[in-house]
Formats: sequence, C-alpha cells, structure tokens
Amino acid sequence: MKKKITIDGMYCASCATNIERSLKKISGVESVAVSMMTRKAIVEINDKVKISDEDLKKAVSRAGYKTISIE
Amino acid sequence: MNKKMKHEMSNMNNHDYSESPEEKEISMWKKRLTWGWILTIPIIILMYVLPFVFDVMIFSKESMIWLSLLFAFPVIFIVGFSTLKSGFRGFISFYFNMDSLIGLGTFAAYFTGFLSLFFGFQDYSGISAMIMSIFVTGKYIEAKARGRAGQEIRKLLELGAKNARVIRGKEEIEIPILEVKVGDIIVVKPGEKIPTDGVVVKGESSVDESMVTGESLPTDKNKGSNVIGATINQDGILYIKATKVGSDTFLAHIVNLVEEAQGSKVPIQKLADKITNIFVPSVLGLAILTFIGWSIFGNFSSAFGASIAVLVISCPCALGLATPIALTVGSGMGAKRGILIRKGEAIQTMKNVKVIVFDKTGTITKGKPEVTNIGVSKEVKEKAFLEIAGSLEKLSEHPLSRAIVIYSNLRNYKPVKNFKVLRGRGIEGNILGKKYLIGNRRLMDENKVSLKGFIKKIENLENDGKTVMILSSEKNKKVLGIIAVADSIKEDSVKALEYLHKKGYYTVMITGDNERTAEAIAKEVGIKKVIANVLPEDKSEKVKELQAKNGENVSFVGDGINDAPALKQANVGVAMGTGTDIAIEAGDIVLTNGSLMGVCQAIELSKATFSKIKQNLFWAFAYNIVAIPLAVGGVLHPVFAEIAMALSSITVVTNANLLRRAKI
Repeated sequence: MKKKITIDGMYCASCATNIERSLKKISGVESVAVSMMTRKAIVEINDKVKISDEDLKKAVSRAGYKTISIE
Repeated sequence: MNKKMKHEMSNMNNHDYSESPEEKEISMWKKRLTWGWILTIPIIILMYVLPFVFDVMIFSKESMIWLSLLFAFPVIFIVGFSTLKSGFRGFISFYFNMDSLIGLGTFAAYFTGFLSLFFGFQDYSGISAMIMSIFVTGKYIEAKARGRAGQEIRKLLELGAKNARVIRGKEEIEIPILEVKVGDIIVVKPGEKIPTDGVVVKGESSVDESMVTGESLPTDKNKGSNVIGATINQDGILYIKATKVGSDTFLAHIVNLVEEAQGSKVPIQKLADKITNIFVPSVLGLAILTFIGWSIFGNFSSAFGASIAVLVISCPCALGLATPIALTVGSGMGAKRGILIRKGEAIQTMKNVKVIVFDKTGTITKGKPEVTNIGVSKEVKEKAFLEIAGSLEKLSEHPLSRAIVIYSNLRNYKPVKNFKVLRGRGIEGNILGKKYLIGNRRLMDENKVSLKGFIKKIENLENDGKTVMILSSEKNKKVLGIIAVADSIKEDSVKALEYLHKKGYYTVMITGDNERTAEAIAKEVGIKKVIANVLPEDKSEKVKELQAKNGENVSFVGDGINDAPALKQANVGVAMGTGTDIAIEAGDIVLTNGSLMGVCQAIELSKATFSKIKQNLFWAFAYNIVAIPLAVGGVLHPVFAEIAMALSSITVVTNANLLRRAKI
C-alpha cells in the first residue's frame, strides 16, 4: 500500500532526512521517500501490516513537522 | 444568482488554486527578512559604520552592548522564533536539522553580549542579529529559486479548466469542474479548454494537445475520438461525454507520476544522503571541540567566534538539495516536452546505455497496418476469399486482423465455429464445416501446408517489408490466397535513428515478423541488427540475452502495453505511446508524443540532468570541505561564515535552474 503525506514546515534538506528517519521507524514501513521539493512523503507500507494515518502523523510530528493531509 | 456570486462560489470550490505552499513559504521568509533588516541595520550603523567609517562614538562601550542586545532581541527571538524552536526541539528529540545549527549559533552569539558585560569577552550580540538576518535572506532567495525549479510541474497542475459547461435537461449550465460527473455531456466551444477526459459524441474540431503530450501539431477529433482534459479546442464545437474526472484523469496521473519521480532517489546521492543524516550532530560535536580547543590554546573570545562560525558555516542544505533540485528541474523540463521520467535512477543509468532495442510495431512503425496486396489461388474468387478471411479475422483483436477486416469490407460475416487464436502464429476456425487456418509461415509449416505457387510472391512482398498472411484450408493443405499488410514507418523514425547512430549507439529491432519483412523495415530506418520471429512473451528473454552479451547497458523502447516485461528487464525501459493511448505505469521513462525523437531527447535530458547533479554534489562537498576547516581555524568571522553558507545553497539551486539552458 502506498500513502502520500503532504507536510508543512519542511524548509531544508536535513528536514527531509529527519522525516524519512522517523517514518522508517514504524514497523511495516518498507520504504520512504521524502521530497522537500514537492513537500510530500511517499510511504510504501507492507500490505500485511496495519498502520493508521494517526501513526504516520505521529511519526511526522516526532521529527518536528506538521501533517497537512494523507492520501 | 448574479454573475459575481457565481464567480465567488466557484472560487470557493477551487480553494486549491489559492496561495500555493511555495508562495506561502516565500512570503513568510520575505516578512522575516524585512523585519530582520529593519532591526539589524541600526545595529550595523551604530556599531560599525559610525565608529569605523566616521570615527564617531555616540555611546559608551557598555551602553552600546545594551543597545545591541535590545535591537538583536526581536531579531533572534521573534524573527527567528520558529528557527530557534525547531532547532532546539532537535536537542530534545535528537532529530537535529539545519535550524539546530543556526539556532544554537545565534543564541550563543547573543549570549556573549551578557558575558561581555560581566566578564569582558568580545560581544557578538550584534553579530547574532546579522547572522539571523542573512540566514532568512538566504532562505528567501533559496525558496524563490526552488519555486522556479518546480514551475513546470506547478504549471501542469494549474493547466486544468476550472469550470465546465454541461448539459442538464435542455439547458447548458456552467458548473465548477469538481462537480462534473462521469457521463456528463460537456460543451466545449472553440478556444476553450476541454475540462476533463472524455469521448466526443458530437462535433468536429482539432485540438491542441501540446501541453500534455508535447506534440506540437493539433490533432483532429470527431465522433468517437478520445480527448484529454486541459487540452485546447481549436476551431469547432465539441460535445464530450466525460469518461474520467478528478484524480482519474490523464493529467492527474501525469502530475502524480512526476511528483513521485521527484521524490525518488538517484543512486549517486547515496553518499550525500548518508552525510546529511549525520551532518548536524557531527558539526555540533565539532563546534564543541573547536570551543574547547580555542579556550585552551587561545581565549574565550576567540573560542566563541570560531565555534559560532563553525555552526553557521556548515551547510547540510547544499548537500541535501544538490540532487533533488536538479532532478526537479530536469523532470519538469521533460514533462513539458512529453518526456516523463518515472524513476530518478533512470537518469543515472541512461548514461551507461550503449544498446537500444526497439520494438517494431507502434514504436518504429505507426502501428496501424493496412492491406496492400492480395493474391488468390485459381480455386477461389477474390470475393469468396475475402469473405472467409474477413469473417475469421473479425473475431481477432490483433492489429493485422483489423486491417484485413477493414479491407474485406463485408456486409455480412459468416458464422465461425471452433475459433482459436494461435499466439504468434495466426488463427483457426470452421466456416460451413470446413476448417481454415490464417496466419504466418510458421503456422503453415507447422500444419504442413505447401506454399507451392506462392513462395516467390511471398518472398517478394516480404522483401518490401510487408507482413504476409496466408489462408489455407486444413483439409487439402493448400494455400487459398495471401494478404500482404504493411505498417508504414513513422515520419521521424529515420531521423531519430540517424541521430542515435551518430552518437554511437548500437540499435536493435525486435519483432514477431519473419526475417525478410523485418530486415526490409530495418534497412529502411538504418537499423543493423534484427531479431525476428520473436513471440511477444519472449521479448524480455531477448533483452536478457543482449544484457549477457553487452553488459548491463541495454535500453528497451516499446509501447508499454505488450512489452511491459521487456521494459522491466531492460536497464532503462522507455514506454511510448500517443496521448491517453499509453500505459504510463510501465517503463522508467514514458514518452507521450509517440515520436522516436523523444528517445533522443530523453537521452540528452538524462545526460544533462545527471551532469548537473554531479556538478552540484561537487560544489556542495567542496564547499563544506573547504569552509568548515577555515571556520575551525578561526580564520572566518561569523558574519562572513553565514554569508558563505547562504551563498552555497543559493549556488546549488541556481545552478540547477541553469539546466534549462541545455539544448534538448
């Protein structure tokens, strides 16, 4: 399953790597690509694992950023 | 409802089109830089311009420090509030970022003001305001340049129409695009944008699709034609039935695809990413060591100066931005020309490609075969022959079958029993109790049909690059007749292949046709190596063989529908098609305008983008490698350190924008 997270407050490249690191910590997340250019994180999630949008939001805010939307 | 209200309503529904995040970010930095400088300039005048240029000291040294603490306070703690907040949160959560460095650097600098009052150290509080102001100014310039880098994609997003005129009952009413449903009939007048993907139900016109496919000539549309949302209707009125709306449209797919590609990784950035990951904590450590070192071997004043310089000169942004920014500019340039880069990796792999394999039908040729010759045996009349052939082929969906059906132009088709498609060979079926075979030579050979009397003719036609279909009856194993079908070459295939050969690429054509036909086509376009008689499912196997022989440098160009496995097997898969008639999820690079010149452009674009990435990475690495030791050595004043830092990330972004100058 693929989720696209739109993120606010990402103003530098090290922000992108922080968000990547935080999202990768969720077990079941297979790959994360964060782009500060599009302000989006694309998260690939193992279909067998259930990860709620709330979990994703928490991971983003743990790194210090705000989630605008998840699709 | 009056017009103005209507307008406002539609604006409300289109809130997406208001200020973009890019614009928001730019105006945020602009506000900060304005206030930053309003408060910093008086400090500069009082502390530097008056005493050093005019030799005027208005206040005593102590009141000067108090004044600079006063003016710098709002710069650091109000203008820099979010920087400080995000930076210091890093110290708690261990998610350090750029702000951690600037935050700590400016905070420490500001704090020296108090130390200076009580212990007589050098006062950097005025400097702290200058650092913060330069920082936000640099961010402002960077954000603007970043916005420019993504402009093509944003333009794609803004391309869609905002309203549509739909028929409800007997009335035409204008509604916001978000309210259009599948099945709605939309009226599009000349010069208007087609609001969404659909099929023409009435009217004739030509449509400019260049914004989506990169194809510059308008395409003719009439009843039954597919149209793409966001393209522009030229001269006639079109009535369109909406087939796709919202996020299902072709345009939405393209935007989504490009956005995903921009977030994808290019292998060369791995090292830069690894460094970015540990960069901030390492610099923090280095700043502490610098402070300790200078405290022991120098004094506290120089210790503060040097460690502040280390904090503010280090720039993870240039490193982290080097690749994504160039990828963004490159993929945007591509999107404008009908070249969609789906994976960043393709840009890097493309430069190693030496062998390009082309599928024949629909890639080199137009993929719309037409019947050119008919030959029948003495036993049947042409009319009866076409009746059998047409009735059989009617049941198949192969492009060659369609050509035969169109040519036979039958009013009534004969009933066919026991119909069977023999993949890569042809078809069989019973008509009036008789079993017929129609297909290529392989099919005839397998069924031991003698080609006697036809062999010369077949070979001649094949030498002309035509595909010959043979009809025979099962019972007497004799040929009833032959049909030659030709698929003409796309106008610019020859030009494109000439270009590739000049650049030294080895080209290969792969096809299900027999050797003779394939050779003839290959000769016409100048391809030297032909792999013929390949069943569709074996194409990827052939690509694998070429990889084994030539190394991992094989690109495959095909239509993306039948060739998906071959596209995947190739080191760079290039899927091509025209308009919506394309599987955009296949391939590493997708060409939407159906021209082989797109392959040449995609190669040039990949090479140009990759060399920009390399340049950027070089600058970013070189900058940090030179600048950080200078700061550690105490050679650089913190203000100049901050200016250098701002310039380094601006350089990287600006350099990426220069990619647009490349000729593609």
